[in-house]
Amino acid sequence: MASLDQLKQTFFEECDEALQQIEAGLTEIREGHASDDIVNAVFRGVHSVKGGAGIFGFEALVGFAHVFETVLDGVRRGSLTATPETMDVLLSASDVLSDLVQMSRTGEAVAPGFGNECRTALEHIAEQDRKDAEEDDDSPAPADFDGIDFTPVPMDFTPVPVDADAADVSRSFAITFRPKREMLKKSNEPLYILRNLRKLGTLDLVAQLDCLPALADLEADHPYIWWTGTLQTAATRAQIDEVFEFVVDDCDLEIIETTPASDLAGVQEIVSTHAPAIEEQHIVAPPLAPELHVEKAAPATAVSGAGEAAGAARSPTAKPAATTTRIELERIDRVVNMVGELVIAQAMLGQIVQELPEGTSGRLSQILEEVIHHTRELKDSVMSMRAQPVGSVFQRMPRLVRELSTKTAKKVRLEMVGETTEVDRSIIERLGDPLTHIIRNSVDHGIESPADRLAAGKNEEGTIRLSAEHRGGRIVIEIKDDGAGINSERVLKKAREKGLVGADATLTDDEIGNLIMLPGFSTAESVSDISGRGVGMDVVRSNIQDIGGRISLKSERGRGMTIQLALPLTLAVMDGMVIKTGQQTYVMPLSSIVECLRPARSDISNLIGTSGMLQLRGEFVPLVQLGDLLEISSNAGDSGDSVVIITDAGEGTRFGLVVDELCGHQQVVIKSIEESYGAVPGIAAATILGNGRVAFILDVEKLSELAVNSPAGAAMSTNATSTAKFAVN
Amino acid sequence: MPNAVAIKVLVVDDQNSVRQMTRMTLEEIGFRHIHEAEHGRQAMEIASLQPLDLIISDYNMPEMDGLGLLRAVRGHPVVRKVPFILLTGRGDKELVVKAAQAGVNNYLIKPFTASTLREKIEQVMGKLS
Repeated sequence: MASLDQLKQTFFEECDEALQQIEAGLTEIREGHASDDIVNAVFRGVHSVKGGAGIFGFEALVGFAHVFETVLDGVRRGSLTATPETMDVLLSASDVLSDLVQMSRTGEAVAPGFGNECRTALEHIAEQDRKDAEEDDDSPAPADFDGIDFTPVPMDFTPVPVDADAADVSRSFAITFRPKREMLKKSNEPLYILRNLRKLGTLDLVAQLDCLPALADLEADHPYIWWTGTLQTAATRAQIDEVFEFVVDDCDLEIIETTPASDLAGVQEIVSTHAPAIEEQHIVAPPLAPELHVEKAAPATAVSGAGEAAGAARSPTAKPAATTTRIELERIDRVVNMVGELVIAQAMLGQIVQELPEGTSGRLSQILEEVIHHTRELKDSVMSMRAQPVGSVFQRMPRLVRELSTKTAKKVRLEMVGETTEVDRSIIERLGDPLTHIIRNSVDHGIESPADRLAAGKNEEGTIRLSAEHRGGRIVIEIKDDGAGINSERVLKKAREKGLVGADATLTDDEIGNLIMLPGFSTAESVSDISGRGVGMDVVRSNIQDIGGRISLKSERGRGMTIQLALPLTLAVMDGMVIKTGQQTYVMPLSSIVECLRPARSDISNLIGTSGMLQLRGEFVPLVQLGDLLEISSNAGDSGDSVVIITDAGEGTRFGLVVDELCGHQQVVIKSIEESYGAVPGIAAATILGNGRVAFILDVEKLSELAVNSPAGAAMSTNATSTAKFAVN
Repeated sequence: MPNAVAIKVLVVDDQNSVRQMTRMTLEEIGFRHIHEAEHGRQAMEIASLQPLDLIISDYNMPEMDGLGLLRAVRGHPVVRKVPFILLTGRGDKELVVKAAQAGVNNYLIKPFTASTLREKIEQVMGKLS
């Protein structure tokens, strides 16, 4: 049995879902897409929070949810119109509700007066509503049901077995019952009917199997079996008919009374004496109509209601709901770890198979191929279990934007696209802070005040568009605003002041934009309440890089700014290229490799101060010796035997990494080394190879930075365009 | 005198936590045969698969709400006579009136204690042993 604490945990999880539903629904309504379904969903969300809170004893939550619900009920009934003002109150109520849920979860005491402002606003609206309604109903709604006269309807729960042993009144019927397909379609179960029939007396049935086809031809929804038999009962024919009442059109039914004539006289007599009783039973046939004084015609209503509902229950659209199971995260993580171990063991096996003498490994490697295939599928399925829609991070943003726009007196609308895009939950968990920061920046620095916007010929309401999509094995999240964009002069001036850029350097707008992600850079002229405390975009960038992501920025003066985050889908297993330099083996993430080639000597031009430039389809790509970067000796030197890996380190930076050898592509399990060794520049993590040896996974982005800062790469800029410029010079 | 152990009860609520709470409370009273459904439609599916002696259902649910379920139950040949207790919120007078017309046996205001639940069940099914 679940403990109370576990149930509370479940309740809070449900609250999160409900809150998300409430917020999303209210936002829809506010934008003018109101529909009954949405309003009902919102109402149900608040109602669920309230109901659960009541059961688990969170009084503050119940109290607030009740007022909230009352107003929503007005909207649902149509007695309240969803004016923008009302919607604003409701949206802020959803924020308060979410805070109260959080407080209940952490056990934090609710400060007296918390959310009172919002509560008063809600009560005010509800009050108006009540006044409007007063003309129709002059009695205030009672807090409880004391006002109504409801008598519980007792019921015999055990079906009264008809005394079949009373042989005197026993009658016998021959019954043939052959269900048709329609009967199953209307979800009537033949077996059930037979059970009910048995309750009437002694039933002696034989199942007729003659229509039963071979197993291969069996259709699951076809009733093949039919029954014949006899029923000894004290019940009347009408009572038997009643059992079949709902299926009589959907089956072949034959009920023939076979009671010997001699018995019948007695029976008739008994039946007539019992007649009133039986008749009464018929009137009360739906005997469930309660003794309700409000409604005299209750039985009649119940009958017609029953009829409708029967139709509904038989509706062929009924289909089983998608079922879900909640599983503790720990258990899934255990499976993920096991898959990781499996990948390693499999790589070892592969290594051994390769070492076998030619001709002996044929079947083995065939089977191994299959195992590899299955492991990959296993990995994908486990990963999809851990995957969560990014919506769970996105859902916090509307509130943020609402609060910020109130604080800054700006008008901002948040559009969200692709909330259902799924990504591993380890990424989700670490996405919240960077996103919050970026959006904060957008509202605070990006979007202009309504007056400025109007002056610039823009809509006074600014728009921030938050979108997510899968692109080439990564998830790309884009935050795009239509604000002022980056003030290049100011950024450049500041960068020069801080010595981040040489006094005579000319930079493109995009390059200037990227400057704001350098450590310690903040251009906000005044440190506002919202952003500009010195913890800036550099933190965002390192957060994103920590999870193997890339961040890039595009800004257009006066038109707005776009920040793009490209993130890996998972942090546990990845596809890698195993490479060798000198005696060392490394793994490079496959996602950062653009192409691998063995260039002809004539394509490499040696320029002073560089490790060479590769001419690739008319473009110049700077070359970097991996050995030099990591300060290990390499066999290759600058000979043409080495392999060049063209990598894309984000922000359009391309460079060729010179390595000695490519050993092949394989899946590797990512093992973090930072916990044990701290961050090593250029190394992202480690993995275990098939031969059981540890290999480092390269951090391509860091490598490109190292390349820029190294003496050999001093001339290499972080930007492709300047690379080209340099090559031309 | 019906024995709680023998009564097969179906608890219908879309909120897992509330459903589990109801289950715990029922177990406290002595019930052992407890089925669960997330909404009315699922409840009807379950009801058509096994015999039931009692249905305790929430009102506010997606797919098919408590009132819809009540009407469906009363209109179904097999389960139409199964006692039905509706869970409601405080002050939901109109709902109780509607439910009464549709043939509800009793109602119960959330949140409830084991003793209230027992009382409400006993009002319908007789003293539990």
